[in-house]
Amino acid sequence: MPKTAKGKRPVYFDDPQVDKLLGITMALIGEVSVLHERLDTIERLLKNQGILLTEEIEAYKPDNEVTTEREQWRAEYLARVLRVLQEDQYT
Amino acid sequence: MESQFQHAMLPKTTHDEQARQNFVQSMKMHIFKNIAPRNKEIYEKVAKPRFEREHQRSPENRYEIRSAMEKEPHYHWWGAFQRLNQEMMWDSVMISVDRQLPDLIKRAKDQSNQLGTLTLDPDFQLPTHQTAVDIHCMPGGYHSEFTENDLAAGAIYDRGTYVYGIGWLGPHNDDMGLSIVHNYLQTEFPDFQPRKILDLGCAVGHSTLPYVDAYPNAEVYAIDVAAPMLRYAHARAEAMGKRVHFSQQNAEHTKFADGSFDLVVSHILLHEIPLPAIRRVMQECYRLLAPGGMMIHAEAPLYRHMDAYTAFIYDWQTANNNEPFWSAMRDSDLTALATEAGFSSDQVIEKFIPNGAWKEKLTTTHSSQEKESSQRGTWFVLAATK
Repeated sequence: MPKTAKGKRPVYFDDPQVDKLLGITMALIGEVSVLHERLDTIERLLKNQGILLTEEIEAYKPDNEVTTEREQWRAEYLARVLRVLQEDQYT
Repeated sequence: MESQFQHAMLPKTTHDEQARQNFVQSMKMHIFKNIAPRNKEIYEKVAKPRFEREHQRSPENRYEIRSAMEKEPHYHWWGAFQRLNQEMMWDSVMISVDRQLPDLIKRAKDQSNQLGTLTLDPDFQLPTHQTAVDIHCMPGGYHSEFTENDLAAGAIYDRGTYVYGIGWLGPHNDDMGLSIVHNYLQTEFPDFQPRKILDLGCAVGHSTLPYVDAYPNAEVYAIDVAAPMLRYAHARAEAMGKRVHFSQQNAEHTKFADGSFDLVVSHILLHEIPLPAIRRVMQECYRLLAPGGMMIHAEAPLYRHMDAYTAFIYDWQTANNNEPFWSAMRDSDLTALATEAGFSSDQVIEKFIPNGAWKEKLTTTHSSQEKESSQRGTWFVLAATK
């Protein structure tokens, strides 16, 4: 699927680079919100089940498989946050 | 808050996908409540007085207001946020549809042709006015196909419509069709019992299905130019147990015989096509209707219904949300177009009807006052009887 809509994208600021920067910033703000919601779900579930995990979280050491999965996640995450730089119309 | 009705074809969301869509909606509300209103304030306090000093008169139309507002940084911030919100909205939905597309295609295949039908035209020529830009900035537009039996555009549109409107069209995204049925047809024409109904530019059939419920004895047909929309529309209607005959046709010149229908409707179709196409759609409606039949086109208001400032805000959509025909349609005289197409002028009606019929359906016991307050506003309709 394409990531960009066909048609001229308006420029909103004096310097078009500011448009890009705002796109990155808003995507980042969005992802922080997504992360917060997920953490909030986890913490509420843990609390409901009477499990206290703070120490376990601090003590956690990811194995190789988890490390690879996390690297993959961060690659997709960066692509999402830096979306505007990958679009032809901006360059 | 209400949530979207989970029919079997609706794309599902993971926790993060849902949270991303939630964020898009929150961002939209923030723009609406906290960023947009300052435009009016800045216009009244800064932009308008400056224009008056420079021209010794007030701005008279949306173009002059826009030229005055283009000097205001806040207006550009608002625009940038609106545009980004739209792009992030599609992105948040497309990620989730892309992930489950093979499954959606399979689900559609499994339940096809049980009640209604789907007729696609492999030689269909998309009208060039629909491919010039991707309308509403939906990447790929409503018509593009990237895989066999592709229905991604339909799935994206179904979920995207709900996320975009924060559910204001109801759990089935069907308020336009539903309000036409409940707040116009059944109130003003209680004895009207159409035997054949046609919905033009039906997309995924959001507004088509209320006619199936309202007129259980009628045959309901729906057409669109976009194959992926129609594949999804057919599967969605089947999943919801509604009998509709979908086919890939251009509303400017369909293959149906003269006088085939008692009721021909469209919902926010007219502003997506250029004036010559609107003219041809009106002519086609006249041709397709049996004597005594009715056409109804539902829209948002025209420019002459609003003050110049509101028109300026509306007009933002034209260049910023890929709505190339939005303004030409809102400047047009629809009654004249209908009359030119053959309808006699005393049979053409322009009217505002209450929207929000889906809310009345949800709550059966409420006072008339609550009923009043549950309605957010109106749909504009152009109706004509042959």
